[in-house]
Amino acid sequence: MIKVYSTPSCPYCVTLKNFLKEHNIQFEDIDVSQNEIAQKEMIEKSGQMGVPVADIDGEIVIGFDQDKIKKLLKLE
Amino acid sequence: MVYDLIIIGGGPAGITAGIYAARKKLKTLLITKEWGGQMTKAPEIQNWPGIKKISGIDLINKMIEHLKSFEIEIKEGKEVIDLDKKGDNFLVRDNDGTYEAKAVIIATGKIPRTLNIPGEEEFKGKGVSFCATCDAPMFKNKEVAVIGGGNAGFGTALDLVKYAKKVYILEFLEEMKGDPILKEKLEKTGKVEFQVNVAVKEIKGTKFVESLVYEDRKTSKDHELKVEGVFIAVGMMAKAEFAQKLVELNQIGEVVIDKDNYTKTPGIFAAGDISDIKYEQIVIAAGEGAKAALAATDYLKNKQ
Repeated sequence: MIKVYSTPSCPYCVTLKNFLKEHNIQFEDIDVSQNEIAQKEMIEKSGQMGVPVADIDGEIVIGFDQDKIKKLLKLE
Repeated sequence: MVYDLIIIGGGPAGITAGIYAARKKLKTLLITKEWGGQMTKAPEIQNWPGIKKISGIDLINKMIEHLKSFEIEIKEGKEVIDLDKKGDNFLVRDNDGTYEAKAVIIATGKIPRTLNIPGEEEFKGKGVSFCATCDAPMFKNKEVAVIGGGNAGFGTALDLVKYAKKVYILEFLEEMKGDPILKEKLEKTGKVEFQVNVAVKEIKGTKFVESLVYEDRKTSKDHELKVEGVFIAVGMMAKAEFAQKLVELNQIGEVVIDKDNYTKTPGIFAAGDISDIKYEQIVIAAGEGAKAALAATDYLKNKQ
């Protein structure tokens, strides 16, 4: 289960989501500007008030950390 | 393997250079830390010919799609940390590896300037932000500070007043430098307090930002301001130290180029905001990227 917490206009969110799409990885796209409950959840999980944050099977990835994402998803 | 061309940067300059290089059938690698850079933060672009109005995100997505329709190798999410010579060729190094090319185009653009004060790095993403369009929604009903009273600071504040309870705009100089029209707009919200002669010294907190400390430059007295967000909007800076062995940097760190985008080292070109051209616009960066790719193509032809 993959969740991506983002807002509509942030550069790294776009890059992160494009990356997942290109690798045909399904994810739940959560717009925290529209969803306050999800926003709180994101801040609690990550200790971050900045987007993007990805939750990959319970592992939290902050920002577009491509290496960590690849490792968690066993890509390449 | 040796590439014909390595392009560093994924904004309008780098992408356009990539499109031109691919059409010239150059064996090209494009390395970028992120797509679009500054333009992704533009809510509305109204001066890209052929499109009356488009957001920066939508425009960059179109550009990426256009680029990827060509044969070009791309490494994204990677930051180049060194550029060096190897005989007639060049070595481009990121955290992953080293790549060799006959020519290089530097198109890394500009990044937000930092304050270099305690707490700034520590609380990045924990209340300190350089991107209001990204992070403003996290500060609903909170008090926040914007550092910088120019147009960038005013724009940041306009993004924030949609969510925050109160926005302080703190300017180092004696007066706000931003446009009066924007200032009026901000004043009308009743949420904004403007303060000049402010030197921000420290950002404090535990898990998240709780306050900032500033010196009133008139009285030389320190004050503490309780805020949960600190948005830094003190302009942009060029960061091309990775290339400084081979290119000349001007006083503000931009790569010095001639009218055909050549740097002082033949085979290394620069394009867009990272170069020392005067005007910084998406359409200009794209044009400069095209020029650099054409110049690189000629350079490679003449080398054969």
